[in-house]
Amino acid sequence: MKRLVVLDSEAVYTLMTPAHPKHRKVVAHLGVVAQRKRKAQEIEVVVPTSVRVEACWDRRESGAAFINRMRIADAPLISAAADHAAAIRASLDVSVADAHIGATIRRADGAVTVITSDPDDIEAAASPSRPTIISI
Amino acid sequence: MAGKRDVVGRISEFLDVSDDATVGTSMRIPSALREAAALAVSELQVASSTTALTADALRSRLEAIVMEAALAEHYAQHPEARPSLVELAIAAAEIDGNPLAARPELIEEAAREIVERHPDADADAVLIWAEARAAATV
Repeated sequence: MKRLVVLDSEAVYTLMTPAHPKHRKVVAHLGVVAQRKRKAQEIEVVVPTSVRVEACWDRRESGAAFINRMRIADAPLISAAADHAAAIRASLDVSVADAHIGATIRRADGAVTVITSDPDDIEAAASPSRPTIISI
Repeated sequence: MAGKRDVVGRISEFLDVSDDATVGTSMRIPSALREAAALAVSELQVASSTTALTADALRSRLEAIVMEAALAEHYAQHPEARPSLVELAIAAAEIDGNPLAARPELIEEAAREIVERHPDADADAVLIWAEARAAATV
């Protein structure tokens, strides 16, 4: 089954910070993705671009070298995604980044897993989609 | 080491290219494999074409190579960042929403048992082993 793994800003920050207490945990999730890609399973990791902004992930910075190499694709805030995110933000008290995560989940084709420090907001933003939520 | 990193970086850059330009290759594959792929496409609709199926599998394998190289280098610099097999198996269960994620003691036991027979077992193998053990005790 095709699966999309979505990162929130805390997951990104955790990955970029080896001293973070949850760093090894999030690295483990990417390790599993690598193992599954080796077996040609359909699994992708994405980061909504507004999450990158919130987490200060500038791909040009040397401090992002490790995370840049983990094959995490941008989910851009293109026009249709922006409409979805705007509708989510208009109806819920969530951040722009969380609304963008919600839009990314709703527009996904296949199963979705989100790695987040804020499972309640993500669950609300994703509704009626029901992603698998990993709380960090 | 720098040489390998450069090569992996170039592979990653090529994987990032999103244009649809294609190239004919002289790559030879076993004819039975070609037939199996054609059958999977025509009868199981696993991909739009055998070419797409081949390209997807190749991309996936190359992405794994890039990620594994990055992880290996990261572990060399930060040994404490390397997850154990148990942690990887729990991560695999979490990604899938598998209820075993909440049973770390089962996963730990399965990991301990499976590496005795299969030292190279990966996270998914541990999960399958743990599921089999859990089913057997029901």
